[in-house]
Amino acid sequence: MRKSLFSIMALLVVASMLLAACAPAATEAPAAPAATEAAPAAPAATEAAPAAPAATEAAPAAPAAATNTVPPAPPANPTATIAPPKSESVTKIAFWHSMAGDIGGKAIPQMANDFNASQDTCYVEPIYQGSYDDSLNKLKAGLQSNDTPAVMQLFDIATRLMVDLDVVTPVQNYIDAESYDVSDLEPNVLAYYTVDGKQYSMPFNTSTPLLYYNKDMFEAAGLDPENPPRTFAEFEEAAAALTQKDGDKTTVYGAAFAIYGWFFEQFLAVSGGQYVDNSNGREGHATKATFNDAKGVAILEWWKRMYDAGIMANYGRTTVDTRNAFLAGQTAMFIDSTAVLRGMIEGSAGKFEVGTAFLPRPDEAAYENYGTIIGGGSLWMISNRPQEEQDCAWEFIKFQAAPANQAYWHTMSGYFPIRKAAYDEQLDKDWVAKYPQFATAVDQLHGTKINPETRGALIGVFPTARQTIETAIEEVLAGVSTPQEALDKAAEAVTLAIEEYNITMGLQ
Amino acid sequence: MSTSKIETNRDTSPPVGERPRVTSGMRKRAALTFGRAMLFLAPSLILFITFVFVPLVRTISLSTYLTDPIGRPAKFVAFLQYERLFSTPAFVNSMTRSIQFVLYTVPTLIILALALAALGNLRMRGISIFRIIFSITIAVSGATASLMFLYLYHPSIGAINYFISLLGFPTVPWLISDKTALIAVAITSVWLQLGLNTVILIAAMQGIPEELYESAMIDGAGSWHRFRHITLPMLSSTIFFLVVVDMLASFQTFTPIDILTNGGPLDSTNLLVFSIYREFYFNGKYGLAAAQSVMLFLIMLVLTIFQFTVVERRVFYE
Repeated sequence: MRKSLFSIMALLVVASMLLAACAPAATEAPAAPAATEAAPAAPAATEAAPAAPAATEAAPAAPAAATNTVPPAPPANPTATIAPPKSESVTKIAFWHSMAGDIGGKAIPQMANDFNASQDTCYVEPIYQGSYDDSLNKLKAGLQSNDTPAVMQLFDIATRLMVDLDVVTPVQNYIDAESYDVSDLEPNVLAYYTVDGKQYSMPFNTSTPLLYYNKDMFEAAGLDPENPPRTFAEFEEAAAALTQKDGDKTTVYGAAFAIYGWFFEQFLAVSGGQYVDNSNGREGHATKATFNDAKGVAILEWWKRMYDAGIMANYGRTTVDTRNAFLAGQTAMFIDSTAVLRGMIEGSAGKFEVGTAFLPRPDEAAYENYGTIIGGGSLWMISNRPQEEQDCAWEFIKFQAAPANQAYWHTMSGYFPIRKAAYDEQLDKDWVAKYPQFATAVDQLHGTKINPETRGALIGVFPTARQTIETAIEEVLAGVSTPQEALDKAAEAVTLAIEEYNITMGLQ
Repeated sequence: MSTSKIETNRDTSPPVGERPRVTSGMRKRAALTFGRAMLFLAPSLILFITFVFVPLVRTISLSTYLTDPIGRPAKFVAFLQYERLFSTPAFVNSMTRSIQFVLYTVPTLIILALALAALGNLRMRGISIFRIIFSITIAVSGATASLMFLYLYHPSIGAINYFISLLGFPTVPWLISDKTALIAVAITSVWLQLGLNTVILIAAMQGIPEELYESAMIDGAGSWHRFRHITLPMLSSTIFFLVVVDMLASFQTFTPIDILTNGGPLDSTNLLVFSIYREFYFNGKYGLAAAQSVMLFLIMLVLTIFQFTVVERRVFYE
């Protein structure tokens, strides 16, 4: 008797587990994402404790610890949250965002609150939806059940997908209707978000990659801290000079790059390489990956050479691990987004001085012709919302883009202001005075020539492509394949993904 | 407990081996009984159908399509997804890695849990404190534990490497090297499930009749002999249960991978469930993910059938 009872119970358990295994593939409410909920934001949260603010490109956890010297823009004491209106005449809209940590918890609600206080026809409610990927997936599910926000923040690389899905109202429609002046917006930023001649979304948080270095270590190694390396060759020399060994053990690595697809895209852009065909997907839909050309290969060869020489550390894919190693004095140089600048300066205070420089390029000529691609995110208007909600969404987007709010946003988050007028705000002047290293980022942005390389690739399968590149870099570093082999394989995989995308989206 | 239910079920079923003459009254009664039974079963049937069978059937049908990035079937491709699975090294890699992972975790879990349970079963003052310590991991969620280990494994500031270097050994690139990442994830996973395994084994050990040990002691059996010849055989049904459950759980490990390695480096921790998740969640390839799910389902089915037909025969039930 007990035997059969046991079998029944065990079978039940087994059956439920078996069936649970099939769940993730079902489109609605899979079990897996629920488990991850905590994941994307959480690592940043824990890492932040030992070594200063942690901000990943995808989900910046805010240069925390508001400083006393830089007063937050609008009222120093956050205004009391305005309660949702009861009146029917006020249109309520939802704003989905992916900003974790302090900027998501303080700056975004503050800006929404200011917007709500500034007028009485619209009420915006900001909702944190997890990482950009989580948020995008919630939107995908929401599109089928009509549960969508009026305003949605998404990462740069979702641009092609959002346009192709045909679920957004281009902000261009409103820009044209009201003759809204976009001439003050940063041209590189506009260039990125303009697809087929139309500006589809309003940039909100923008960043570019920078070279960060430890000035004290430069001095100790006999290098000029005011003259950081500019080319790949100079970088390699500097990394070799900065590396310190204690017998067999390396105590300080000259440099460290996190294995992050975005960095490869940036190195490719400053090398003048294109990620995909059709002018980086800017003239018609991309049909195949092209990053496996000589320019792409040269980047990985350079990376691998430094890694093999023991002057380049590998702390894995998580960018925060590389940042922590830099703050712990285990590496002298690294690259990361401008968004982490404040965290690096505050985290190193009292230990060493942080310097910033342009992203290294293959040669001096590249400085003339190419530059970095802007990264970050933008605000989209979802087209299945009622007209009055879309009108409110546009008002809110305009509000977010206003100079005063961009200055506030810039100083709170470390992202670029999307418009030049923001630099004239007193708040921003104070910030730039306090963090002079940020000027490097602004110079790099303004020094970038706009061409298909620096506008950045447009593909609908960017998350896949990034992940594929990351695996390729890992293969190269592990010596499993040569840079050419690894990139060829990656290009093949990305091309297949693009082809499938084009078929399923009815683009072929 | 549910014994009576089973008995009643048996009563209602027609006696095997004889074919009763069917009268209209009997048919009516049978229909009535059937209707009543369905009424009682309805809540669970509805739940099962909506949340299990419908998704299962949809998964199978989805696996024959290419889908758009939102997951809507776009083009029927029959078995193309399955062909791709076996022609690309990625899926084969996921399979072998999953099997490797099961081999790392399940035996370790059972052996450690047995050792802890044997200790926790000792008769001494304050033993309940030890039992609580041994089983505390039940109270820790997978995400929390993974975050703890993420911190412990940290390449530059992690505690594990700190202690290793204190002892004078070279540090281990836990999550960074493709050679150690799977082991690192396995350690986390074992740590997480150890508590439950221990508790179940302690409970089972306490159910072993004392007389067996007493008579063995009179016969002069030492503690190892008592463990080997009384405890282990008496626990075999429990151990079998744990092996089945652990194996399935370990095949489905997701949280530690998502938090610790994201399937990397070099796909060394890209186990099946994570690969499924990544295909549909990041890559929007719902069809391919569905095909992988179906494969996972088949594998688990075969494994379970094997365990219940072959292995179970060797298990001793009271």
